[in-house]
Amino acid sequence: MPLTHAIKPAPETKFVKISFKKNFRKNWRLLLFVLPALIYVLIFAYLPMYGIVIAFQDFTPVDDILGPNANWIGFGNFLRFFNEFRFWRLLTNTFLLSLFGFLVGFPIPIIVALMLNSLKNQKIAKKLQTIFYAPHFISVVVLVGMLYLFFGEYGLINNIARSINLEAYSYFLQAEAFRPLFIFSGNWQDFGWSAIIYLAALSGVDPHLHEAAIVEGASRVRRIFAIDIPAIIPTISIILILSIGNLMSVGYEKAFLMQTGANIVTSEIIATYVYKIGFLGTGEYGYATAIGLFNSIINVILLVIANVSARKFSGNSIW
Amino acid sequence: MHKNNIIIALTLSAIILSSCQGSNSTSEIDIDSLGYQWTDTSAPIIATKDAISFDVLSPKNALADNYDDMKVFNDLNDSTNVKISWRNLSESAYAAQKTLIMSDRNNYPDAIYHAGFSDKEIIQYSSRKVIIPLDEYFDKMPNLSAILEKRPDVRRMLTAPDGHIYTLPKVEEMGLMPYPNLLFVNKSWIADLITANLISFLTINDLNDGLNLTLEQFRTILSLFKTEDMNKNGKNDEIPLSFVYQNWQGNYSDLYATFGIPENINHLTVLDGNITFTATDSKWREATNYFYEWVRDGLIDREIFSQTQDFFLAKGKATDQRLGAFYWWESETVVKNPEDYIVLNPLIGLQGQQYIGVSNNQEMTRGEFVVFSKAAHPEILLTYMDRYYDPIISAQINYGPIGIVFEEELDEHGKLVQKPLPQGMTADELRLKNAPLGCFYLSYEEWENVINMEPRARLRLERLDDHAIPFVYPGASPIPNITYTMTEINALSTIELNLNSYVYEQQTQWLLNGGPSESQFNTFKNTLNNIGLQEALAIYQAAYNRYIAEFE
Amino acid sequence: MVKETRMHLSLNKRRKLRPYKDSTGDKIFYFVNGFVLFLLTLIVVYPLYFIIIASISDPDAIFNGDVYFFPIKITFEGYARLFNEPLIWTGYRNTIIYTVFGTAFNLLLTLPAGWALSRKNLPFRKLITWFFVITMFFGGGLIPYYLLVAKLGLVDNPLSMIVLGGVSVWNVFVCKSYFQANIPEELLEASHMDGCGEFRSFWHVVIPLSKPIIAVMVLFYAVGHWNSYFDALVFLSTEEYYPLQLVLKDILITAEVISNTGGSAETIIEQAKIANQIKYSSIIVSSIPIIILYPLVQKFFNKGFLIGSFK
Repeated sequence: MPLTHAIKPAPETKFVKISFKKNFRKNWRLLLFVLPALIYVLIFAYLPMYGIVIAFQDFTPVDDILGPNANWIGFGNFLRFFNEFRFWRLLTNTFLLSLFGFLVGFPIPIIVALMLNSLKNQKIAKKLQTIFYAPHFISVVVLVGMLYLFFGEYGLINNIARSINLEAYSYFLQAEAFRPLFIFSGNWQDFGWSAIIYLAALSGVDPHLHEAAIVEGASRVRRIFAIDIPAIIPTISIILILSIGNLMSVGYEKAFLMQTGANIVTSEIIATYVYKIGFLGTGEYGYATAIGLFNSIINVILLVIANVSARKFSGNSIW
Repeated sequence: MHKNNIIIALTLSAIILSSCQGSNSTSEIDIDSLGYQWTDTSAPIIATKDAISFDVLSPKNALADNYDDMKVFNDLNDSTNVKISWRNLSESAYAAQKTLIMSDRNNYPDAIYHAGFSDKEIIQYSSRKVIIPLDEYFDKMPNLSAILEKRPDVRRMLTAPDGHIYTLPKVEEMGLMPYPNLLFVNKSWIADLITANLISFLTINDLNDGLNLTLEQFRTILSLFKTEDMNKNGKNDEIPLSFVYQNWQGNYSDLYATFGIPENINHLTVLDGNITFTATDSKWREATNYFYEWVRDGLIDREIFSQTQDFFLAKGKATDQRLGAFYWWESETVVKNPEDYIVLNPLIGLQGQQYIGVSNNQEMTRGEFVVFSKAAHPEILLTYMDRYYDPIISAQINYGPIGIVFEEELDEHGKLVQKPLPQGMTADELRLKNAPLGCFYLSYEEWENVINMEPRARLRLERLDDHAIPFVYPGASPIPNITYTMTEINALSTIELNLNSYVYEQQTQWLLNGGPSESQFNTFKNTLNNIGLQEALAIYQAAYNRYIAEFE
Repeated sequence: MVKETRMHLSLNKRRKLRPYKDSTGDKIFYFVNGFVLFLLTLIVVYPLYFIIIASISDPDAIFNGDVYFFPIKITFEGYARLFNEPLIWTGYRNTIIYTVFGTAFNLLLTLPAGWALSRKNLPFRKLITWFFVITMFFGGGLIPYYLLVAKLGLVDNPLSMIVLGGVSVWNVFVCKSYFQANIPEELLEASHMDGCGEFRSFWHVVIPLSKPIIAVMVLFYAVGHWNSYFDALVFLSTEEYYPLQLVLKDILITAEVISNTGGSAETIIEQAKIANQIKYSSIIVSSIPIIILYPLVQKFFNKGFLIGSFK
């Protein structure tokens, strides 16, 4: 089944429509299966949403959310954020990091999947696939640690450069190196894993289609465009939408580890700034929450836009 | 049904159970039964050993022993009978967790040592009654009360806008703090360069402490350090000049001062009674553009932008010496062959000026120790803390215990004297391992009458007298530890944070990539004003004027 | 010739039988394709390989850039020093505990939820689905989340490492997909007719058929627990509770001088030297379970029908 059905709530069964009450009486035990997860999500995902009100307060770490001393300041926190000297820079950094990450990272797994699928020796293809998704399991700490070991001031790359009399380059001090390093390491880590979905879709392609194409003299390349790609378009659309919806919530854990005093002008994204405001210094919880809320809202807007456009253009959508 | 219900119940109860905290051990104690006394500062505070214990959170230096193991604290426990259960964590963990510690209301300690509370935090938490005023217990603190009597300036410094005192002081008056930098250079390397005829403006006889070099001469020397394999190990691994960028000590300020501005890491100083911001001066711009070239050419170690103080200190101790020159207070902590290094006078700038600025490192600070309102019997805890302000104990808190760092016997003047260093350890390391630092009072009086200064501190003072203090920019003085009103604190806290980050970011970018141009600098100045620079300067000036009026 | 049925032949066999030769265009394509894939393989493999050889090489040699393809002056000093560091042992122990119990907790919540959602006759099905989906795109944010965790008393509490992240909505939907695709209604009906209620059906019929998805869930969640550091960074202040990744962070990234928990006084230079040596060995040692788990994972992944479940 195409991926759309994974997320879209299923339509009514094609059996006889039974009344809701009857269904409930018959099947209430099924609810109990999902109850633990429901309660968990209620506590850990929905309750915090209630805490969003502190975005409108001057809230310190020792305050109560709706205590009698709550210090309401309306949109004060938001105004303060918009007036910050770093406001545009934060937006740009976050957005560009995701955008470039997306522009580079989206096509690569597709291309690699197509390439692997086109290999004549599928046994080797399977082995390569396994090799390619191995880095996915590396933790972010180890990955960034490896980055420092390879690209640090006295890392492998710079040592090689020095030994062949090239200038060493400070990958972690030069602000303009941050994005490429972040994005390409992310791709290195995830392209194999992301390719799996496309490979799965490709493996569902009817071999007869290829047979017929060969007979008609289509080259391998032509066959890719005519058969393989159309087969994975639905998958591509859904992943596309999901990626766009997440454009503003790019991996802050990794950015945080890669920040140095010198590259902060490009490496400070909204999420890392929220962490600093909230947890370091005097802990301005209200202010940090306001910024986080702003971020979430932009995400939702992007998601809605993406979904609407996708539905208009390709008929595939999440809802 | 059964299985899921059980699971739900188990999970919820696990969560609930873990949030039930054990009750505070001190609250059930009846104070009358303890035999609490505070007037005799050499006798135990309570009658029975460990009859009461306090839970104190404290970040500690990475090299320090756990406070539970430190002799200083064990001795105090013996002499007072009060037990302190220390909760140690690393300094960086504390910095990351401080706000969470404050929001975890079920789990507050009785007090935090090395609290590092800013003025804003003090107001914030005292107004919400999370921390208690300590001045109400001063009658139970004889040592500290005596100090505050004879030092109204210390009392002023400690007092919050609402008139109460919420933290305990740290006072260390050695006359060292405003001068955090000395420039050291490897004289045997220069000697090699002279012998090889690569330098003509110096002779071997010149290579003594107090050598005067111009910027360009120094630059030539650094370039040669870089290319001439000075440590003769076949590799060009020499680091011409290193320091710790914007550390409180061993920082970049003296380099900028050669351009004729009294620079320090806050870019703020008092110049003829006016609070002055250095980073908007055109000379600051010139300095940045100039030193970019040094960074670009590798004369300044690029790692200054990322290394911590500890890693800087490790650099000069490798088997092959790599450090050509560095800024620090002393050479012994930095390099393993200090005899090869001489102290330079401040570098002579391009127009012939020879200045340094002064730093705002304070000799007395507040915010070291706070007590939470949940603590039961805080008076006992505070009488215990009062012991730290006895001169002999202060010395041990700051340097290490008698028996390990200090000799058991007083010297012929009746003062404490340091023991010789054990093999293989620097004075710094010995001190950090054994001394908690924190709350103590060591004023000029104590140095006169009670304790000998460490040999290296004395050496430092001499060197500063000869090579730093005479060159202070005329009219420049450090900003004292002024106190602000509540409105001022609230206004300042955000502005200061943003000012500091912004200048830091821009300066780092320019030093790495070149600049600023005229227009970039104008944008820089405008942004600073938008952030609130003028407002901040006005506040500083007003508070400073108040301070001067009170103490002059 | 073409009309011979080749439906049941594998690709490889088919290749042998195909009488057509590749055109030149195709030859070039295959060559380029193979070459690029080869390069990619190198790019993926070399860094990992380098870490391995560096972990057993002399640190000065590494610093000098002498180590490229082969280890130099093989030494296990890096590993020896690593194991001397008590935090590594506590980190390992903690991470194992967090992973085992955390994953068990995850499965307990996720599998039944995925199962229920896969059944069309679940009351409020659409509502519940939306309830979950919304949380994927909108949340309270970092601060309110942490305030809640603090209120629940989970701060500086190892239980937090087990309980937090208990349900990944994404994983719930993957399970749902699997169950929808692989456990048809008819099977359920048969089980009901045999007198099994919902729970017995789940336990006796569904679970045995779910080995692949359970394996995948174990993999996803276990790796998630094993690799996590941020929650630990924020919520844990007692070193005794630190998971491995947090200890690694100090070794690899902040390059902190590891605090002395007993042992002889190490000077600063000693600490710095140790720090450098153990970076590589620490990466290897912390990744061992993944390395071990990996071949097992492969087995399931290469079984086509698991890939089908992704659909």
